[in-house]
Amino acid sequence: MATSRDDFIIAIRSAFLKKSTQQKFSLLSLLLISISIIVLSNLNFKVIKYVKIGLNEVVYRSSFLVSIPENFVKNSFFEIKEYSSFFNEYKKNKKELDQFKSNYVSNEIMQFENKELKELIDDFVSSSNKILAKIIVDHKSPYLKSIIINKGSKDNIKIGTNIYDQSYLIGRVIEVNYKTSRVLLLSDLNSNVPVTIAPQNVQAIITGTGKNDGKIKYIKGDFSSDLSEENIIYSSGTGGVFKSGIPIGKLKIKKDESTRNMSVQFYSDFSQLKYVFAEIISKKDIEDLDQVINQTNTTDTKLKLLEDEIEIIEDTNLKFLKENETLKFEINNLNTQISSLKDQVFLQKKEIDKFNFDEKELEFLRLNLIYGHKCRKTFLNSSGFKINTLEYRECVLNKGIIN
Amino acid sequence: MNALKTNNYFFKIYSFLPIILLFVSVLNEFDFNYLNLKYFSFNFPFILIFFFTLKDLKRFDYLLVFFAGLLNDIVVSLPLGISSFSYLLICIATSYFRNITIRPSGIKDWFYFLFVISLINSINYSILILFFSYELILMYYLVNTFFTFLFYIIFVSIFKFYLKGLND
Repeated sequence: MATSRDDFIIAIRSAFLKKSTQQKFSLLSLLLISISIIVLSNLNFKVIKYVKIGLNEVVYRSSFLVSIPENFVKNSFFEIKEYSSFFNEYKKNKKELDQFKSNYVSNEIMQFENKELKELIDDFVSSSNKILAKIIVDHKSPYLKSIIINKGSKDNIKIGTNIYDQSYLIGRVIEVNYKTSRVLLLSDLNSNVPVTIAPQNVQAIITGTGKNDGKIKYIKGDFSSDLSEENIIYSSGTGGVFKSGIPIGKLKIKKDESTRNMSVQFYSDFSQLKYVFAEIISKKDIEDLDQVINQTNTTDTKLKLLEDEIEIIEDTNLKFLKENETLKFEINNLNTQISSLKDQVFLQKKEIDKFNFDEKELEFLRLNLIYGHKCRKTFLNSSGFKINTLEYRECVLNKGIIN
Repeated sequence: MNALKTNNYFFKIYSFLPIILLFVSVLNEFDFNYLNLKYFSFNFPFILIFFFTLKDLKRFDYLLVFFAGLLNDIVVSLPLGISSFSYLLICIATSYFRNITIRPSGIKDWFYFLFVISLINSINYSILILFFSYELILMYYLVNTFFTFLFYIIFVSIFKFYLKGLND
């Protein structure tokens, strides 16, 4: 028994302390160094912090270079996958584009309205400038979902800077180096985002699951029963870490026998990210509002494509306007024709009336010759009437019968 | 292989291939995550370090393993020193195993590897949870350990082929 214990101790001592032929350090010394590094990094020791910042730049770049072959394989894999579903994607995109076109105009109106309201509330507007950043490392480990982008403190990136894929929120910056930054994705377990669930406007907090989706961690009040599938989730801006009103994803509800699990399906596919937008925010006074409006940002370049389409629509609109004018001119001509015809009709009617009048007069004269003596007032006919009076005319027309 | 040995430069690269592979793997973190297979992941550096510190220590410097761990921490964004600690624990385990083994056996190595990575992943998980307040899913660690264990036997056959070529 004692011998086997001795053997164990000898083996352990040998494992820890013995330097093999080509080893420069014993395992024990290296182990102690690594433990001290862990302890010092836990205590946020400055030297460790600076060493890490120094190493970050070099390691991220090297990691990017080393990843080139794997990225090539990965991209080829996705390209092949993409080609197989190319036609369906095209049809889907076409449909979406049509929808976006119609949404674009209303969005622009809302943006202006929003800007005006912000002016009223805050006396300043926040001008955001989105810069395009390339993802240089996206090795998301199963435990941590983060990416490295090629923009850092040099480009005004700060801790907490919001990161977007198109216009969807995907995460925030948690570590800034001079030329690179690390972004914690919304799907990470350590990510917590205050959100609003529309259209009920329910306040909640979502967290990542470590996979490609999220889950509702907390709902303010007892509104969970009001929520339904396909509710839209966007950032509420509570806490000031994330900007408000940025779309995040859709609500998915899985109903079991007794429980009701709510998950969040993000609009962005985090495994497919190549480029992202980092939003750099600066506050400006109202006096500088004109400048703010004039500032171009990268979103504008994207919107330029849509603007081109609007130009085409405007051209066709102009054509329609011209056509409209000629039609109006024709309508005016027709109206004048109608009015002249109306005049003609009026004259003809007048003539007819006159003719009718003449005919009545002739009839009166004819009857006057026959029955005039019966109606005329004379010495013998005292019941008669004076000539040229209305009573006389009536009497003549009644063939001499006096009423 | 003899032709390779005559070309000193290529032979050197070939003989240091495991350590080069270790640095490439920690910088690249290749684990086929993009296939999006649920829970699927494995730890290639664990397999590499375990095998080469057990079988061919001459070309596997502990100091380089220590540096590889530091690089891995930066790439994966773990607290500095955690991976170095884990890798060095593997080195200690293999060193101990080498000292007590009289008759080496592949199956024994394989199950000893399972024991070692389970222990190291547990320590890793505990440190991250207790001292650094990380939120982690235990299931991922278990699945990672399982797949690393499974892949060990595949990679070992490739490494043995490499060692055979080197010794010839």
